[in-house]
Amino acid sequence: MTTSSETLRSRAGATSPQTKPSSAEGPSGPPAREAPQSVEPQNSRAPSGGLFASVDAKQPFKTVVHEASVHTDSVLEINDFNLWYGESRALWDISMSCARGKVTALIGPSGCGKSTLLRSVNRMNDLIDTVKVGGEMQLNGDAIYGSGVDVIDLRKRIGMVFQKPNPFPMSIFENVVYSLRIDGERDRTVLEEVCEASLRGAGLWEEAKDRLNDSALAMSGGQQQRLCIARAIAAEPEVLLLDEPCSALDPIATGRIEELIDELKGSYSVLIVTHNMQQASRTSDDTAFMYLGRLVEFGPTSEIFVQPRLKETEDYVTGRFG
Amino acid sequence: MSNALPPTGTKDPLIAAPSAPRARRSRRGTSLFAHGEPMIWFTGGSLVLALLMIIGLLGWVLAQGMGTFWPERVPQLELLGGERLMGELGDVERYTPEASMLDALSPELRARADLELAALDGQLERVLLRSGNFDISNTHYRWVDRYAIAHASRELDDSEAGRQWELDPARFRMEASASDTDWSLVVERLSWGRLYAKPVAFQVAGQALSDDPAEAWEQFEAHHSEARERWQQRRDLETHDIGDVNHALEEARLAARAAQMDLDAALAASAGAPRLTKLRAANEAAQASLLDTEELGEQRFAELQSQIRELDEQNARQTLLVQTADGTLVDLQLADVVRAYPANQLGLFGRLGVYASRWREFLFDDPREANSEGGVFPAIFGTVVMTLIMSLLVVPLGVLAALYLREYAKQGPIVSAVRIAVNNLAGVPSIVFGVFGLGFFCYIVGVSIDELFYSAKLPSPTFGTGGLLWASFTLALLTLPVVIVATEEALSAVPNSMREGSYACGATKWQTIQRIVLPRAAPGIMTGMVLAIARGAGEVAPLMLVGAVKLAPDLPIDVNNWSGSLGPIWTGAAHLERSFMHLGFHIYDLGFQSQNSEAAKPMVYTTTLLLIGIVVTLNLLAVGVRSRLRRRFAGTHV
Repeated sequence: MTTSSETLRSRAGATSPQTKPSSAEGPSGPPAREAPQSVEPQNSRAPSGGLFASVDAKQPFKTVVHEASVHTDSVLEINDFNLWYGESRALWDISMSCARGKVTALIGPSGCGKSTLLRSVNRMNDLIDTVKVGGEMQLNGDAIYGSGVDVIDLRKRIGMVFQKPNPFPMSIFENVVYSLRIDGERDRTVLEEVCEASLRGAGLWEEAKDRLNDSALAMSGGQQQRLCIARAIAAEPEVLLLDEPCSALDPIATGRIEELIDELKGSYSVLIVTHNMQQASRTSDDTAFMYLGRLVEFGPTSEIFVQPRLKETEDYVTGRFG
Repeated sequence: MSNALPPTGTKDPLIAAPSAPRARRSRRGTSLFAHGEPMIWFTGGSLVLALLMIIGLLGWVLAQGMGTFWPERVPQLELLGGERLMGELGDVERYTPEASMLDALSPELRARADLELAALDGQLERVLLRSGNFDISNTHYRWVDRYAIAHASRELDDSEAGRQWELDPARFRMEASASDTDWSLVVERLSWGRLYAKPVAFQVAGQALSDDPAEAWEQFEAHHSEARERWQQRRDLETHDIGDVNHALEEARLAARAAQMDLDAALAASAGAPRLTKLRAANEAAQASLLDTEELGEQRFAELQSQIRELDEQNARQTLLVQTADGTLVDLQLADVVRAYPANQLGLFGRLGVYASRWREFLFDDPREANSEGGVFPAIFGTVVMTLIMSLLVVPLGVLAALYLREYAKQGPIVSAVRIAVNNLAGVPSIVFGVFGLGFFCYIVGVSIDELFYSAKLPSPTFGTGGLLWASFTLALLTLPVVIVATEEALSAVPNSMREGSYACGATKWQTIQRIVLPRAAPGIMTGMVLAIARGAGEVAPLMLVGAVKLAPDLPIDVNNWSGSLGPIWTGAAHLERSFMHLGFHIYDLGFQSQNSEAAKPMVYTTTLLLIGIVVTLNLLAVGVRSRLRRRFAGTHV
């Protein structure tokens, strides 16, 4: 049977909501039987699950966390994380942990806050003036948000790959060793070693070794994305963030990237946002399903896709909703 | 439309089917524009019009400018009444004569004029003759009426007038003996402009060595280059050697004056005795050194003067006696002749040689004759140096300002206001910038500099007046908006994803700007620089206030030629405070300020051509750099 670890009682505007442990039977509390108020158009397709209705009504809500996904050896720990864009709240009391050396996938319909959560991990959201955050995150035990945190230092510990390939306007070589360059590394042998290792890690070495001094912008889209992965792993990050890394690629390039993620598994901890259910099921070890800024269900990928505990999750992963 | 669907029966007015099938709306009167074909013609026509104007302007300048230096044939004309003229023929023009002018004509001329009037519907034709010989005739050009020409030599056929008029050769042609035009010379002199004449004799110390024109010309050619060398030597003595003496004297005078001023200041402030003693000693030394220098200078002056006199005497010995068309004899000193050629004997290569030689003089020599003759090298130099200094000033400043506006400043009403203000600055008339430059740079900054560093030279200003540096500053100010706007455009065209990628790698903001944003924006920044150069190099109005002059005797950079063991060593001292010549101002001055605008007109075209050429060259350089940057930073699909 189910044992939900925590019930998160969320209140709009609360920066540090109270948490209280409780045990609940069944996937969720009795669904609220009010007439479905279609706040969001896609909600009209949501079947019996009253969970979404209660989310829409900003009612208390609890994340279902499978016990197999409560990790003791986690590289990234997220506790009651909240985020506002100005007045509108984008993340509601997110709590989860990413296992070391594993791939964690974030899935959910558009606008559910997956990317926002991902970008919160390396504080890319700091670039937006209106963003406020509450709660905390920890990278290997070090606080990510806090007064004494050096953002530049933090970002050097976290690699990130974006939705669209964004190689820099410089040579392939310089792209890969960018993070070393900005640290002032000048030793050519060190740079070359890192470049080769990273390109091998990203499965790009054979294609790129003869054209390291060519412009990176001349590569194909799939190659560019693998180059961005090479660039991210060149700094040997503690966690690798992938923000829909295949959404701009064709199926073959997507296949290459997925193989690559499989290869990276073990040596790197990966947090990946994806729209593609198959991709999540193929590549990840843990899957988190998000909806409208809430973390709905978090568990091992095999369970989330085969026997989710929530009807809503099942509807989403089987394509009946979203 | 919905005709194919069955009636739904619903009462919803939005989706109710029409009760009866509606006829298709036919395309009526608007269909021509709906097709869009007229717009193709409008847009294409506008482009063609714009291109025609540009090509027309450039083509006109090119055609006129390139032809200026081409040596024309020199025909001789004999007018009814016996007056003889010689010179180069220009444009043919029709005009309607005044009745009073016709009435004043002699019966014979009147009869010929009436014939022409009848043939040309009450108009007459005349040709512009560059007759030269200003020292004799007081004019460079004169109009010659067609009806007044009795005879002409055969060189007339080579001119536009000859081709148009198709004069009857049998009746019209001069007899060969009466006008032997084979030896008509075009002589370009140091002063008084061109001389058209035939050589009579080559003389040394007043003694004719030859009487035959061919022989005289041969001897002239043999001795001309050495006479020119003497002239060059004399000029070097006058400008460099005497200039050096003057410079040394000036330095000594300034040092003495500065020492005196220091002493006076110390006395006025009743400084301590040891300091006064020291200053007194320094002052005495400076005064003594001034006396020494003056004495040495006197000696050196006398030496140089005697050398110059000697050269003058030598030059005065060799002369070429020539006779103009009206029979006047002129004794020409060889040293005063810049260039002479028998225009009617030159073959194609001879004419090309003269053409090339004139271009070389134009590009590399100093101007003569109130700028209407000689070269424009000082103006080229001034224009290029000013534009380069301007670029060096404006590009870094503009790029930094745009970086702050686009990358650092918080976007909001204040930044928008600043941006609008900068954009509007580009629309301020350039003369306003000139006034500002004069008031601020020359009279405030320059005068302060003078008071601080050049007080010994006062009241004559050093930086406190218009000069190359202040002109560059003024133009930099003028072109700043162009650079800022172009740079901002280029910065905003850098995709945000690149910035984010850099931040995600742990780069700071400045590292991101320096390594990602600026290289990527570099081509766009270069575009701004190209625009700034194009704007700045062609600007004249503000320069008239802040330092461009009609004639600047010294270049803004002194070039001294020291003979070292490894050959001549060029050393330069920049004098950016000096006033300078500028091609744009040169055009204005030639075309509208010169006393002899007809003579200057060809030079206006040529100078315009040159200015356009320089702007194009500078732009091409910048474009070349830009495309290199593009190749370096951009791939196939960017």
